[in-house]
Amino acid sequence: MKRLGVLFAVFLGLGWFWGLAQSVKIEFNTLFHEADAKAMEDIVNLFRAAHPEIQVELVQGRWEQYYAELRLAVIAKNPPQLGICHVNRLMEMVDYLTPLDASPVGNLLELAGIDPSLFPEATWKAGQINGHQYLIPLDTHGWGLWYNKDIFVAAGLDPNKPPQTYDEFIAACEAIKKAGFYAFHPAEDALPRKLRRAWEIFYYQMGGELFDPAFTKATFNNEKGLKALEFLVNIFNAYGWNVVGGNGYAQFTAGQLGMLFAGNWFYPTAKQSGVNFGYAPVPNLFGIPYTWGASHQLCVPLQPADTPKEVYLGAMKLARFITENAYIWTMSGGHIAANKEALKDPRLLESDYWKESGHILNDMIQKGLVRFPINHPRGSQLENAIETYIQLAVVGQISPAEALAKAEAECNKILSEK
Amino acid sequence: MFRWGRGNLAPSILAMRSFLRRREWEGWLYILPYLLLWGTFIAWPVGYGIYLSLFDWNPIRGSRYVGLANYVALFDDERFLNALTNTFKFVTMVVPLTLTVALTFALLLWFWRGSKILSNLAQAVFFSPYLLTVSVIAITWRWFFDPDFGIVTAFCKTFHLACPKFLADPLWALPIIAFATVWWLVGYRMIVFQAALGDIPQELFEVAKIDGVPFCQQFIRIILPLIKPSLLFSLVLTLISAFRTFGQVLMMTGGGPGRASEVLALYLYWNAFEYFRIGRAAAAGVVLLGLTLVLTLLGVKLLGLKSELQ
Repeated sequence: MKRLGVLFAVFLGLGWFWGLAQSVKIEFNTLFHEADAKAMEDIVNLFRAAHPEIQVELVQGRWEQYYAELRLAVIAKNPPQLGICHVNRLMEMVDYLTPLDASPVGNLLELAGIDPSLFPEATWKAGQINGHQYLIPLDTHGWGLWYNKDIFVAAGLDPNKPPQTYDEFIAACEAIKKAGFYAFHPAEDALPRKLRRAWEIFYYQMGGELFDPAFTKATFNNEKGLKALEFLVNIFNAYGWNVVGGNGYAQFTAGQLGMLFAGNWFYPTAKQSGVNFGYAPVPNLFGIPYTWGASHQLCVPLQPADTPKEVYLGAMKLARFITENAYIWTMSGGHIAANKEALKDPRLLESDYWKESGHILNDMIQKGLVRFPINHPRGSQLENAIETYIQLAVVGQISPAEALAKAEAECNKILSEK
Repeated sequence: MFRWGRGNLAPSILAMRSFLRRREWEGWLYILPYLLLWGTFIAWPVGYGIYLSLFDWNPIRGSRYVGLANYVALFDDERFLNALTNTFKFVTMVVPLTLTVALTFALLLWFWRGSKILSNLAQAVFFSPYLLTVSVIAITWRWFFDPDFGIVTAFCKTFHLACPKFLADPLWALPIIAFATVWWLVGYRMIVFQAALGDIPQELFEVAKIDGVPFCQQFIRIILPLIKPSLLFSLVLTLISAFRTFGQVLMMTGGGPGRASEVLALYLYWNAFEYFRIGRAAAAGVVLLGLTLVLTLLGVKLLGLKSELQ
């Protein structure tokens, strides 16, 4: 009996030491799924091995309601210690985030030794608001041109020379259509937000802006906006390059589509499909070869008042580790790491992804050709207003001019609401 | 001098004594677990939802009491009115169709009740969609109508028929979702009707047969009055399902094209979880609750089944 007691005491003691050794617990919530989630899990597993003193619980894959859940977790005083925030969601989310340079325990960026010069200036500054830094850049992602080399050959086109100008692009589309394939899909799976992104690309390429700098009114209902929308509508109608409601992902992977505008996340799917594909920058159709893109950034959600300093530091240590090892993120997830040092990793530079598409997207990013979405407290509503009418124009329910007028009116109403 | 007597006891104490003597508390005790669960998961959330609808809810910056402003804003919002209209359209399509198809199938199986195997097989086939989750239903039907690879599109192409854009067409989107919903819901209602038909005494039909009453008269005079309670049950159930339809719309069209298939529950979802306008979403929820309640009670009144609820 005495022996049992001693054994019990030893057991308790070991448990206490183990508890001490793992005193910091971090919850890291992301909205990633599929290849992205796997890549992030790989990075977190490396961190767990390197830092056994910090316990990390990784929660992933709830894309649809991620931001609502993050807000509610903050309100319930049970937030994760580290999270992800799209750079264009900053203004919507700012009330729910910790200012990293002015947290309750001090300047977390300095405490964690995060060096802003390791990140592209524009991407770093995109995480600032009200004079404070709220976000740490993880990546930049964006759309490029995916094309089927076999279809190019069948259509009499050079598979090693994807179109990069308006004339080349029109000629390629017509040749592919003539060869009996869907010529071009400008918007991934044609969801309303994807159609809006396609229109934004055309519109931005003409030098257009969606809103005035102070966001007092919409500025897209003009000649450029109309030309961009007419071009988008014609792709599915007058030009006959695709069909209304057609899913570009499905068409491309089935070997039925010549060219597709899609994000870098399409790489694993394209690879698995067995299609002999190529990747190129979005062609310069209207003046400036802009593409649509965004940036995932790391954030520390607003913590309850009694949160110990160690918890903040643990979260920041994890954030720093993730950005430093973001080469894994790029290799597996396809998004281009924001940390310049991570981009120099030889494992990344030798990877198939980098050689086949990553370096091209990175080139677009470095040239400043990736346009981020609007950043406004009611950004989601504004985007929804635009995409609703763009979709109606594409399906032929209303004219492009009518669509822009209605979208403009709704956006202005949203902007005028208190 | 004041003296205690029966007449001086407060009425509430008397009521309590009577309550304890009659052991009414035993009955309350039996339903207490249900009451606790109902109160926690139904009554309190509904009450809190109504409370929230009176606020511009933002616990971080501070919530602000706005009275009925959220309701006023709702009826000033074209998008809400469109969602309301779509909801009514959807209910109008789904409720009569579900009940009619379910009753028709139930009658057919009732006629074939002599062949047990055939009847059971048909029952299983009709009921099986109800066992599927809404996401499976939505994905399956979305694939049926896919403009590239859908089976319906392939059928149209094979027979050189002009193929509508289906889910990408504002005219077709809502009816297709309604059709998929009917396909999903009909099996359960059919079983309910079958059970009701099975309870009708056979003698009534035998007498009617002897008197030479045609089937349509039998249906109106015998079947319909005797299955009224099941009809009410199915009506209420289908009405509620149709009003709060969400999953299939979100997954099949996302409310599109444009907002052609955006229903109230989806409007509520966008406001709550995308735009985080909780007060506005709660107000939409209260409107939805009110509509469902009013129409259910109206159905009860029209069917003359007040006694069934008592």
